[in-house]
Amino acid sequence: MTSIGTGYDLSNSVFSPDGRNFQVEYATKAVENGGTAIGIRCKDGVVLAMEKLVTSRLMKKDANKRIATVDRNIGVVSAGLVPDGRHFVSRARDEASSWRSTYKAPIPVASLANRMGSYVQAFTLYSSVRPFGITAIVGGFDAETEVDVDGAVGSGPKVGSGGKTQGVKEGGPYLYMIEPSGLYWGYYGAATGKGRQAAKAELEKLNLDPKKGDTISLEEGVKEAARIIYVAHEDSKDKEFELEMTWISAVSGPTKGRHEDVPKELKDEAERLAKKALEGDDEMEE
Amino acid sequence: MAAMMQSAMPTSEPGYSFSQAPQSVAGGPRQHGFYPYTDNGGTTLGITGSDFAVLAGDTRSTSGYNINSRYAPKLFKIGGTGSANEGARIVLSVVGFAADGNALKERLDTVVKMYKFQHNKEMSVHACAQRLSHILYNKRFFPYYVHAILGGLDENGVGALYSYDPVGSYERETCRSAGAASSLITPFLDNQVNLKNQYDPTSGSGLEKVTKAPQPLSRQTVEELVTDSFTSAAERQIEVGDGLQMFIITKDGIEEKYMELKKD
Amino acid sequence: MNHFPVGWGRPRDDVYGAYNPSYLPQSHGGTQANPITHTQSPIVTGTSVLAIKYKDGVVIAADNLASYGSLARFTDVKRLKQFNRKAVVGFGGDVSDMQYLDRLLNSLDVEENYGGDAPAESGPHMSAKNLHAYLSKVMYKRRSDFNPLWNAMLVAGLDESDKPFLAYADLLGTTYSSPSLATGFGAHLAQPIMRRAVPNEAASRELSKEQAVECIKECMKVLFYRDARSMPVYSIAVIDGKGVDLKEDEKLENQSWAFAEQIRGYGTQTV
Repeated sequence: MTSIGTGYDLSNSVFSPDGRNFQVEYATKAVENGGTAIGIRCKDGVVLAMEKLVTSRLMKKDANKRIATVDRNIGVVSAGLVPDGRHFVSRARDEASSWRSTYKAPIPVASLANRMGSYVQAFTLYSSVRPFGITAIVGGFDAETEVDVDGAVGSGPKVGSGGKTQGVKEGGPYLYMIEPSGLYWGYYGAATGKGRQAAKAELEKLNLDPKKGDTISLEEGVKEAARIIYVAHEDSKDKEFELEMTWISAVSGPTKGRHEDVPKELKDEAERLAKKALEGDDEMEE
Repeated sequence: MAAMMQSAMPTSEPGYSFSQAPQSVAGGPRQHGFYPYTDNGGTTLGITGSDFAVLAGDTRSTSGYNINSRYAPKLFKIGGTGSANEGARIVLSVVGFAADGNALKERLDTVVKMYKFQHNKEMSVHACAQRLSHILYNKRFFPYYVHAILGGLDENGVGALYSYDPVGSYERETCRSAGAASSLITPFLDNQVNLKNQYDPTSGSGLEKVTKAPQPLSRQTVEELVTDSFTSAAERQIEVGDGLQMFIITKDGIEEKYMELKKD
Repeated sequence: MNHFPVGWGRPRDDVYGAYNPSYLPQSHGGTQANPITHTQSPIVTGTSVLAIKYKDGVVIAADNLASYGSLARFTDVKRLKQFNRKAVVGFGGDVSDMQYLDRLLNSLDVEENYGGDAPAESGPHMSAKNLHAYLSKVMYKRRSDFNPLWNAMLVAGLDESDKPFLAYADLLGTTYSSPSLATGFGAHLAQPIMRRAVPNEAASRELSKEQAVECIKECMKVLFYRDARSMPVYSIAVIDGKGVDLKEDEKLENQSWAFAEQIRGYGTQTV
């Protein structure tokens, strides 16, 4: 590594002469060692999935969740240092609840991503702190129908002055990825962690861009997510892992606008298909 | 108790959908105010014997002329384990403002449970009695508006009964009634338990008369006195009725009895 | 110093000048802002809430009116709030306090769902009993701070073992439970009708959903006849093992004002 011995990597927030911040880059390394996390923005919702590497056989299955709920309609999954991920989630929850008490409405996913981006970036500015050792994927669904403002009374005028314009479509599924530098972009499909390269290659094959025709449905997304995590796991096959998967649909969809675990039956089916797809690949190779 | 508190009576004022109607001074400017107390009616009663204590209370809850509920117990087991207070040996009865009664019960219950964890033994009734007094007295400038009676067995296995005023003044007694019908029940108890105005018929007349000395009563006698007290109170006091709940505390634990009272 | 005991130990006016009360609140002759004041009366109010337990669950209803004194100010106010799939709260009393409580319950629900991420159809949920315990403690705390939330409310739903649960809580922190409950005017007018259907717990275990809904609808009608701060459009919710069925735009059916002909008095008739 070019940074070693130069001294420019010893303190956070210090630039090297060629304009790099090595502490941030080291944080990125921490992310690259973590289990793979992905997010898929589908036509009618978002899927989050995590390859949870089993670090001990003494740990209970399906416990110690890695995907967290931040607000009713928003979930976060991260790859990298687990405690950093927990702190990120805790801050995101505070942001979401303070937004609620200020604006009496749920926080839009974009605003949450913006605030968390700023928060993470602040940890690259001071020598007294270190950057987050995680890359977080934030997925959510901003309600398309008008959500009642918390505690709202009355529906207002139906027509005329103060009436609402009919047929305006707002909201929809949103997906963002925030890196240790504080950099964040919106994505159709996002992947991070050890198996991100393989996962990204798979994600690119999916129809996720609405400008290029019909995108995949949420249910297809769930199956693809499971398969992609299994594909991404191929390179670290010696380690056991558990698949953790959550989804968020529209208010009219299966989760009623909430961020929830994918139901067991659907998850089992997705995992079965994922294993089958992998076996198929193996046979073809042979 | 009822006389001490203003209960929501039908007035010529507009009706409101909550219990506290605005207080108005006739003719003067109308002043709205918040009065933090109400009276939920009902009556409680406790009598002790040589190896038991009985606590009883009706189960009616009222607001003015309304019956809130026909089953809202005023008797609570204190201590023991879990939310069902299994194995408890102390009973608290509270009558007056039910919300304060509940808050008081929860506080005392917590204290007694904590005592067991900290000292590894059950709290005695007399210790619990003093603690209850402190809890009430500590809030003397904003009192728990309740008349509490605490019952159990003392260190010698003898029935113990403690009665309190709302600010924690307390006394161990053999017998006490509190609440809406206490003025009806007390003289009955004076006569039947403490044998007031009862004289030895074989003694002479006038100054020669010899008062009868009160003796510890049997459990059956006490239970009969309790039921008679409540059936009679339910006849004459509109805030008393619906059900009678009785806790009998003996060395074997707390036995609960329930019987119906008049519902009108 | 003079011979009046009130002056003993005080600085002499002839030496130090008159006492300067400016730091005191206005109510005590000073110029400072008055001390913190709290709600002394409700402003925009909702009237009765009714509920009845039946064999599998609870039916609860309240009309959609928020009154400003005697003015029917807001006519599409939803006073039944679904907390989760097990509990509904019906609010009477001050509407702004209802909104505060609704926000409080919303944030409570969000926090309850942080862990677990349980799908809607399974997993642990706060029961109506838990919710009532929470709400009544909030109410009691606020009354003890002399800053009451001016509401009377019913919590309807299922307890932790999925049995029907119904309880009351109000601005004083008073709580009670019964097979049927009503707040406000409903306590006078609807409760006697409901008690005819469910005189005791045993009777409520026999009552069918249809009978319960019918009884509530009848009571809403009676309340509209007699409560001047009511309206004929109302919300009704049924909470049972299958979840919450909340309808917020129901209209009273089969009204008959024939009885009005019989009313004499109030100075409008000459005969």
